[in-house]
Amino acid sequence: MLKNILMFLVTVFITTFLLVSQTTVSNLIWLSGLGMPVDLFIIFSSIFHDIVSMNGKGAIPAVGLVALGMAVAFVVARIALIWIPIKRRYAYALAGGTALLAIVLLMPLAFYNLDLIAGARSTLGKLYLITAGVLGGYFFGVNLTTKED
Amino acid sequence: MNFMKKYLILFGLTFSAIIFSQHHEAEYDLETIAEGLDHPWGTVFLSEDEILVTELSGALRVIKSGKLLSQPVSGVPNVLFAGQGGLSDVALHPNFKKNKLVYLSFSESDDEQKSLNTLRVIRGRLENNSLSNIETIFKATPLRKTAAHYGARLLFISDGTLLITSGDGFNYRERAQYLDNHFGKILRVNDDGSIPDDNPYVTTEGALPEIWSYGHRNLQGISMNSDGSLIFAHEHGPMGGDELNIIEPKNNYGWPAITYGIDYSGALISPFKEKLGMEQPQKYWVPSIAPSGMTFYDGDLFPHWKASLFISALVPGDVRRLTLDGKNVVSEEILFNKLGRIRNIISAPDGSLIIATDGKNGKLIRVTPKK
Repeated sequence: MLKNILMFLVTVFITTFLLVSQTTVSNLIWLSGLGMPVDLFIIFSSIFHDIVSMNGKGAIPAVGLVALGMAVAFVVARIALIWIPIKRRYAYALAGGTALLAIVLLMPLAFYNLDLIAGARSTLGKLYLITAGVLGGYFFGVNLTTKED
Repeated sequence: MNFMKKYLILFGLTFSAIIFSQHHEAEYDLETIAEGLDHPWGTVFLSEDEILVTELSGALRVIKSGKLLSQPVSGVPNVLFAGQGGLSDVALHPNFKKNKLVYLSFSESDDEQKSLNTLRVIRGRLENNSLSNIETIFKATPLRKTAAHYGARLLFISDGTLLITSGDGFNYRERAQYLDNHFGKILRVNDDGSIPDDNPYVTTEGALPEIWSYGHRNLQGISMNSDGSLIFAHEHGPMGGDELNIIEPKNNYGWPAITYGIDYSGALISPFKEKLGMEQPQKYWVPSIAPSGMTFYDGDLFPHWKASLFISALVPGDVRRLTLDGKNVVSEEILFNKLGRIRNIISAPDGSLIIATDGKNGKLIRVTPKK
């Protein structure tokens, strides 16, 4: 049980890191294209800034959003696994992807169609974030699998 | 002893602060001239005793001799009242007394793609509490899915052309840096919507000819000084980074490549605050004050306020009086901070100031010297 909780927290942190860094990097790619002097120092300091700030200063902490979305999705996956014969790693991967899909689709509905996560404004960005959720869920499923399968 | 001394100093400072804050309250009278307005937004004087007010929900109201007429002006087009959108600003043609032309800005849904919307500016003839002969002066492109950041302020400048502020649409901030669209721009058109020949990008390939300046976010205040030589505009920053700029044609004001604010998510929008070729603000605010309207005061009722810029602010809800030395802001004073969120401020012909408070039960409040 304790290991599962730990794995859940690690999963949330990995997914949050992927979400935050995508927002930062996609922003820096655009700025670089505009001729702004983006170098390695700027990249690393910006990612560090965003990890701290998106979890501490933003309207909604990214880590809380991811944790909430994944907690709901993983509980649903766990229940579904009782009846659906599918490997856990795939079930949780699907759940993780669904959690991020819900975040990127539902948040704009609550805020006049505004994408508050800048990295989620483009279709490519949305797909990346869903993939981050899939990877996070897969990681969680794999690490549960070793004990529970 | 030291303990006592500290407390006496603290008490003294607190007492001075209270006296100082009340000192300003004593300088003027506040008189509510209309209330029950549904999100008042734009305000203009038709004559000494007649005021036009837009309600964001879509009505154009008239206040005559201090009384709000029960019937709104008829003939106003339907607007998209959602998010930050709705019936926004109102301006009079410089020759209004003869031609009765009134200009309105508002957000509206697209006729064909209902999920999309845009900013539109129209003009119509105002007679007998009715707007007729409506013509479209400007329509922003491309369409947007978001209901935010329209800008939508209107200002006739001294050469008789009309400036329109057009916000970045929130989701489309990067487009403020490109000249092929209306996001994050100030636009200049003739009174009939045609393009002035001397606009800065008229001959630039791929650029929209209406563009006057670019690199803006959400401009909700624009005003000019008494001789029309300086045009001031303020814009909302994201989390911090509200700006006051002096607008000159062709200039790039930097958004979102340079900014003093960060995103609502906490993320950096840009790690850069300056760049060659991008203008620095005359003043910026961190944290944000949410500047919502502006007037350059040139009246006689408050001689010590002459040539000041007054900026209404939604957060925490006050008015900022900025004193200027030429183009530079030299001081800032906070006024009227007990009225709640303030949506707009204008100068009246008699030299008083008119403040519009925000919200469902918005008020118009006249500020005059203490009797």
